[in-house]
Amino acid sequence: MRRVTIDPITRLEGHGKIEIFLDEAGEVANAYFQVPELRGFERFCEGRPVEELPRITPRICGV
Amino acid sequence: MAKLKLALYWAATCGGCEVAVLDLNEKILDVAAAADIYLWPVAMDYKYKDAEAWHDKFIDVCLFNGAIRNSEGEHLAKLLRAKSKVMVAFGSCACFGGIPGLANVADREGVFARVYGETPSTDNSDGTRPQTSFTVPEGELTLPYFYDTVKTLGQTVPVDYFLPGCPPVTKQIWAVVQAIVAGQLPPPGSFVGVAEKSVCEECPRVKEEKKVTAFVRPHQVIPQPEKCLLEQGLICCGPATRGGCGAQCVNANMPCRGCYGPTERVTDQGAKMLSAIASIIDATDEAGVKKVVDQIVDPLGTFYRFGLPNSLLTRVRV
Repeated sequence: MRRVTIDPITRLEGHGKIEIFLDEAGEVANAYFQVPELRGFERFCEGRPVEELPRITPRICGV
Repeated sequence: MAKLKLALYWAATCGGCEVAVLDLNEKILDVAAAADIYLWPVAMDYKYKDAEAWHDKFIDVCLFNGAIRNSEGEHLAKLLRAKSKVMVAFGSCACFGGIPGLANVADREGVFARVYGETPSTDNSDGTRPQTSFTVPEGELTLPYFYDTVKTLGQTVPVDYFLPGCPPVTKQIWAVVQAIVAGQLPPPGSFVGVAEKSVCEECPRVKEEKKVTAFVRPHQVIPQPEKCLLEQGLICCGPATRGGCGAQCVNANMPCRGCYGPTERVTDQGAKMLSAIASIIDATDEAGVKKVVDQIVDPLGTFYRFGLPNSLLTRVRV
């Protein structure tokens, strides 16, 4: 099965990858969107004072 | 003169550094006149395979932002280091670990358990976790390996220049771009786009060397606009932080959180903050000191807000 990899996806904030699988006729059989990035804000915001979060969470996305 | 070949890349980052570059506004046209950009995922369509095909040292200057969080970040750091004559750690994540570096309070499993298991909005009863390799009917899919510990760019590959800030202020970026174009960069290993001294030197507030009897949190007081925030009992990281930002936060009545990293002569920003705080606490005995210090709610997340991976501690033991 032929495969087209788009890595990275560009012109957006963040990291992304697309894998497209083509069947024998060259038609798209299936496609997968993947996010190869995680920073873990859900974890490291724990324990921070709530009044500090407006200075931490803007760094989830700065675009 | 031949045009410079530039690459801009982001690893574990938020994209704010890219926007800081775009905040050059019309000066970006001057950059385009002096340099051709060969990689910049946020703005232009190049693929990793394009970068892999370049010969070594093909790129003149790589501006690399973001911390090194997973194997993809490490791979791109090593790839772009090999392909670039000059590697610049751009922004606080690349220089010190930045906000993503706060994840060094946990390890890989600790982050995954929270993100993919415990968060109230997550429904993942079968415990699915990211896999580095996963077989689907059509073939194999791969993801980068998520490390236990966030590293800085300089802990991953040799770095020629460090341009800190979260994000770096635009006028500093422009000054560094001009120095690059003119070939007037300082010796390798230098910090660029920064002031020599601390944020306190740039801060217009009045310092009277007064002693502090209590620390307060920002929502508990309305700070006086002309007086040193630390002397008002608000934890301000200005004394431990390199200037160059123009003291933007303190000018907006918010205490410094240290994004420009430690000053030239300081190794550990948090240790320097402890020293600064110790010197202003007004107490005569150990119990009195403890009472004041206990009012600092989150020393790790405050003193190492932007630099836990770069600190002597590097991470919390788990």
